[in-house]
Amino acid sequence: MGTFIVRRVLWMLLVIVVVSGITFFLMHQVPGGPFSRERRLPDHIIRNLERKYHLDRPILEQYLSYMFDILIPRVTAGETGRSTMSDYLFNIQLRGDDKATDENEEIFLRWMNFGPSYASRTRTVNDIFREQLPVSFQLGVMALLFAIALGVPLGILAGLNRNTPIDYVSMAVAIAGVSVPTIVLGPILIWLFGVQLRVLPPTGWGTVEQAVLPVIALGAASSALLARLTRASLLQVMHEDYITTARAKGLAERMVIGLHAFKNALIPVTTVLGPMFAALVTGTFVTETIFGIPGMGRYFITSVTNRDYPVIMGTILLYAVFLVFSNMLVDITYAWLDPRIRFS
Amino acid sequence: MFRNKAVVLLVVLALLLTTVGVVGAQEEEEKVLRLNMGPSDVPTLDPSLATDTSSHQIIGEIFVPLGRGNEITGETETGMATWTIEETADGTQMITFTIMEGISWVKYNPETDQVEQVLDENGEVRYVTANDIYYALMRTLDPKTASDYAYVLVDAVKGAKEYNQANLDEVSEEDMAALRDAVAAKVLDDYTLQVETPNTAAFNIDILAGMWFSGAQPQWVIDAQGDFWSEPENIESYGPYALEYWYHESGIGIVANPFWPGTDTVPQPKVTRVQWVFLQDTPAFANYESGLLDVVAPPLSEMDRIKADSVLSEELYISPYFCTYYYGFNVTKPPLDNVHLRRALSFAIDRQDLVDNVTKGGQEPARWFARPGLLAAPTMETDPELGIGYDPDMAQEELALALEELGLEDLADLPPITLMHNESEGHARIAQAIQEMWRAELDLEVQIATQEWGVYLDTLDEDSPQIWRLGWCNDYFDADNFTRGVFRSDSGNNHTQWSNAEFDALVDEAAFGGLSTEERRELYVKAESILTYEDAAIVPLYWYTTVSLTKPYIERTYALTGAQRFEKWDILDH
Repeated sequence: MGTFIVRRVLWMLLVIVVVSGITFFLMHQVPGGPFSRERRLPDHIIRNLERKYHLDRPILEQYLSYMFDILIPRVTAGETGRSTMSDYLFNIQLRGDDKATDENEEIFLRWMNFGPSYASRTRTVNDIFREQLPVSFQLGVMALLFAIALGVPLGILAGLNRNTPIDYVSMAVAIAGVSVPTIVLGPILIWLFGVQLRVLPPTGWGTVEQAVLPVIALGAASSALLARLTRASLLQVMHEDYITTARAKGLAERMVIGLHAFKNALIPVTTVLGPMFAALVTGTFVTETIFGIPGMGRYFITSVTNRDYPVIMGTILLYAVFLVFSNMLVDITYAWLDPRIRFS
Repeated sequence: MFRNKAVVLLVVLALLLTTVGVVGAQEEEEKVLRLNMGPSDVPTLDPSLATDTSSHQIIGEIFVPLGRGNEITGETETGMATWTIEETADGTQMITFTIMEGISWVKYNPETDQVEQVLDENGEVRYVTANDIYYALMRTLDPKTASDYAYVLVDAVKGAKEYNQANLDEVSEEDMAALRDAVAAKVLDDYTLQVETPNTAAFNIDILAGMWFSGAQPQWVIDAQGDFWSEPENIESYGPYALEYWYHESGIGIVANPFWPGTDTVPQPKVTRVQWVFLQDTPAFANYESGLLDVVAPPLSEMDRIKADSVLSEELYISPYFCTYYYGFNVTKPPLDNVHLRRALSFAIDRQDLVDNVTKGGQEPARWFARPGLLAAPTMETDPELGIGYDPDMAQEELALALEELGLEDLADLPPITLMHNESEGHARIAQAIQEMWRAELDLEVQIATQEWGVYLDTLDEDSPQIWRLGWCNDYFDADNFTRGVFRSDSGNNHTQWSNAEFDALVDEAAFGGLSTEERRELYVKAESILTYEDAAIVPLYWYTTVSLTKPYIERTYALTGAQRFEKWDILDH
């Protein structure tokens, strides 16, 4: 298990290097730059801007310096200078205190500088991580829990009552959930509960009431997907020989399903939960925009439109890390669900 | 009896006092204005770095510039200073600003929920001085600041261009210091600042005094906090409002500054707090309908319903917005190198039809480029026939001339024409409507192509398509910012490849000739006629408007200049 995790973390580093390299060189190849404006800036202003953000350096040097800034921890003395160019995610004080003198200077271990945002000129990518990621994370986790709580039981219900009205109704609900996108469901929920009935706030974030509508809107599609997957998987497992054997042994139907069928049916469901988790918690553009939620989602889109290079890199790497990490969790869960799977 | 009377009198007096007391208490109740800023966060509150309208909105309320564009007339009026302009023998202007005394720097304290005066290291109240304004000016010009809008400012300060354009990689530090000292701005005393301009342009004062970066900046905060000085925990300001909070991506709020003395042009605010959320227009409209927002810009898709609704239609207001939407031609690419064909295409577009049925926001059909209402710009009252408009007969006539000149028998022999715009649903609808108009009026087939925004901007710079679309909005409130600023032959924004010496001479004369507004207008009339009719280098399509819904209990002004002046608003009992 320990070696498994260490190996996975090393893989993750490799993935980050590859993903960052591809993203970095691709985004610099795309026409248009961060300072292209409808109102064209004079060349010398662009030169001042490029100089400030080191975009006048050779591309390979820019990449290496970026990777160095995020991967390699450094030990520095004193303050970093209040600049968007040097904002570190981790600042661990190694020595000294507020009353430090020259001989006893404060020493910090600093790590992970994801760089400035070119579009919001007084913010950094780390600011976005610190302020917007927790919001998206909360929303994503709640939506995922909602999706599991609704989708899995619905799928089991449908699977166990195959070809009965219960099955048809559950699956109709699921198909509706998959087919109605958030961009339609969101405004309908706002109009119904926020404007007509006025029982829930239409937009915003911070209170339980404000979370209800976006969690439903975001979780609906995922729950529908989970319901259909659970049903299909359960039906397949129910035809396995070992289920027939269990029944032949005279095991109670409750035990057959609870002990043998259900656990095995969850394997495909667990597989999709990994990427689903990564996608939901790193920010969802449509839901966050419709409900005015101050999350990460918007940055995935606007950073590309604005050619805001550090924000593009930051969001892509964040997503990559979450994806690799959640897939690792999924692999660990497999072993619990199916003892035949071993970490070898 | 007498005693009774006295008692009655006392009771009445007591009652009166209580009533007054109650009324007094009611008056002290806070007035909170709830608004929407649009879907995205405010990019920055640093006046030297701001480039967009939401940043300008907040900056204008917390850092009052030397002068202020009147929100209705656009004319630059007194802000933090009064000024005198003297023309010198060298063909420059010497502008002397006298800065208002007794304006203190303030900061919002979240613990006490009060706006407090800022004290200096000696415990004295810090007042805004000429030094703070000089510091702000030089900071904007410093190439290290890398300010976008320095390029506008350099045209209004003698010596500023050399300093701002210096290449830091090549110029030594001593030379930079010399360039810095050569910038013709100096502090004469604590409340007097003198700036020499490089020319006698009528709009120098609008740039120097009226733009969002023309205020004071707190050097001590910027030195201590670096790039993060404009965050709510650090920022210090002095205008009629102070920054109360800024939750990124979620909302921003300003609170009345009791230390702002109030002037004729910038009175003390009646509304205590102004609070914005960041929402797209559709959810914002839902909040407005639920009574959670006081003013919104409604989604255009709801316009038909709003106009039909008896309540909402009363709350709707459409006001001019100083932008022009236009199509440009690349006049070097056949067949659009033919002026008659360009005129035919422009004549064939029914702009009224376009704004009524496609854009639907009450926009005004445009006949020329510089939007009416700008200082010295032609207006529909004075020049109704100027420029170009929908005329199917003229379109046919010009098309026939074009074919004759090109020596073509048939339209089908014309080289293919492509119209390009950046990807967006709105632009696509307009392009398709115009494609259809050309098909119907001229029997001419035009292809539409689209590109992603950043790619599109590169294309315009490097090799502009035969027909392309753009919009232009004002920086300063003068026709010069449009006609000369965009289409003079050396302008970086002129993607037409078109140049005309007569046009250049006219717009230069209008800018630097030392003429009256009326005389300048006449020159712009001639210039616009060349641009949009004689040479038909562009197709003006419509002049922008903003659409807003305001609850009836809000007493407000409708600013034409982009940024609202909340110190002139009030909230009535409701």
